[in-house]
Amino acid sequence: MNTPANHDDELRCAEYALGVLSAAERRELEREAGENPLVQANLHRWQARIAPLAEDAPPVEPPPRVWQRIQRDLGVAPEVRAARRAPSTWWDNLRLWRWLGLGAGIAALVLLAVNFSSLMHFGQPTAVVSPYMVAAIARQDGVTHWTATVDTRRGNMVVVPADKSVIAAGRATELWLIPPNAKPIALGVFPADQPASMALPPEILAQMGDNAMLAVSIEPSGGSPTGQPTGPVVASGTIRPA
Amino acid sequence: MTHFPLRSMPNASRFVPDPTRFTAVKMLYCAERQRYGLRHGLARMNDLFESSDPARSPSPQRVDETSADAAWRDTLNRTLSAVGQEDREAFAALYKMASARVFGVILRMVRDRAEAEDLLQDVFVTVWRRASAFDPARGSAMTWLITLARNRTIDRLREHRETALDEPEALAIPSEDPTPAALAEASQARQRLEACMQRLEPQQRGVVREAFFSGASYSELASRLSVPLGTMKSWIRRSLMQLKMCLEQ
Repeated sequence: MNTPANHDDELRCAEYALGVLSAAERRELEREAGENPLVQANLHRWQARIAPLAEDAPPVEPPPRVWQRIQRDLGVAPEVRAARRAPSTWWDNLRLWRWLGLGAGIAALVLLAVNFSSLMHFGQPTAVVSPYMVAAIARQDGVTHWTATVDTRRGNMVVVPADKSVIAAGRATELWLIPPNAKPIALGVFPADQPASMALPPEILAQMGDNAMLAVSIEPSGGSPTGQPTGPVVASGTIRPA
Repeated sequence: MTHFPLRSMPNASRFVPDPTRFTAVKMLYCAERQRYGLRHGLARMNDLFESSDPARSPSPQRVDETSADAAWRDTLNRTLSAVGQEDREAFAALYKMASARVFGVILRMVRDRAEAEDLLQDVFVTVWRRASAFDPARGSAMTWLITLARNRTIDRLREHRETALDEPEALAIPSEDPTPAALAEASQARQRLEACMQRLEPQQRGVVREAFFSGASYSELASRLSVPLGTMKSWIRRSLMQLKMCLEQ
């Protein structure tokens, strides 16, 4: 952690604002500014000092197509609204996935109970045939934020929000797989408040055994720059066969 | 709060899924209000012109331009704040007011029209999504917009150039000081900054301008101007600290 407003921070904020830092140095300073309000304030001051230079660039009227594309991106252009509506199939249905996630969670619990009792009865484990695995990714206080359902046959995973999450601007939620006694493996940035699906290659799938965990950390918007979690872990959960 | 041990575990095999593989439910913005209008922004601007205070300008002969500029900036601040409240009419007004300036800056940096258009689109989509983070107490809307646009552009330039370093760069184009006529129309902040820029060594002033308008990194600037990297760093760092001292006087 940096001491507040030291000379090095001051210089790097100035250099960032002018735009002379390398990509890695820029990411590093953005990360620090996200954690340290003093660095953030310093950066704002430098941006305000430098930005007036931009007035020297003569204004250039952009062609109308740029505005049309912006409207399209934001989903407000009429002809695109129709197109957008079409692909909103069952796959995009938040409610469906929430119920499925909840159902899968309950199924996991039931199966666990059944396994446990059959273990008690016969003294040997019953083979689990289901191709699905589930994890309730919960905060430390036990509130589930996301449910993850892994389809091991098809090699994909669906992550569904179970609770409303508020992520600061410029930050993103990144998902990590933590096999027992191993380093976290980055699974990628995912939208905190929307269902998301991702493909899992076999080498990742192989690590998704019993007792592996899924965890979510808060990272810069493009994801962790180091390949390992850099921000706080906000929720985690163990993967169980469903 | 749990933290993963950080530096102790370098180079874990990293798997980043292709973001296009994520399917997500995109929220549709309220369909019944898809038409933009300018009434909002213009009405606010007229109000401001009537009520702006000429006493705020420093020299009597420039009363009109300065108060008009202050009013314009004030309107822009309010418009961006309204965009933060998801006001789509305000968003259209903001684009009308600021897109040409933002585009001018991006175009100057990337010098490629298609790429500049792409960046402008990206910048304004981000403006809509992030406008609620704008705080007029911390800085002006114009600074916010220019900073966002420059950051996006610099990131894009780094993506290209850090993969292709041997790209034959145009010969160093000296970035010229603004003409007196241009400066007379500039904001007070720009005039103050120029007064401080004029105190720098002419060569170092040129380098600061070049850095700002090219978005180039230290190493690119050094090779472009055929100066050792250390020299380039010390020129720019000294200039930045001199500017800070001068601006804080």
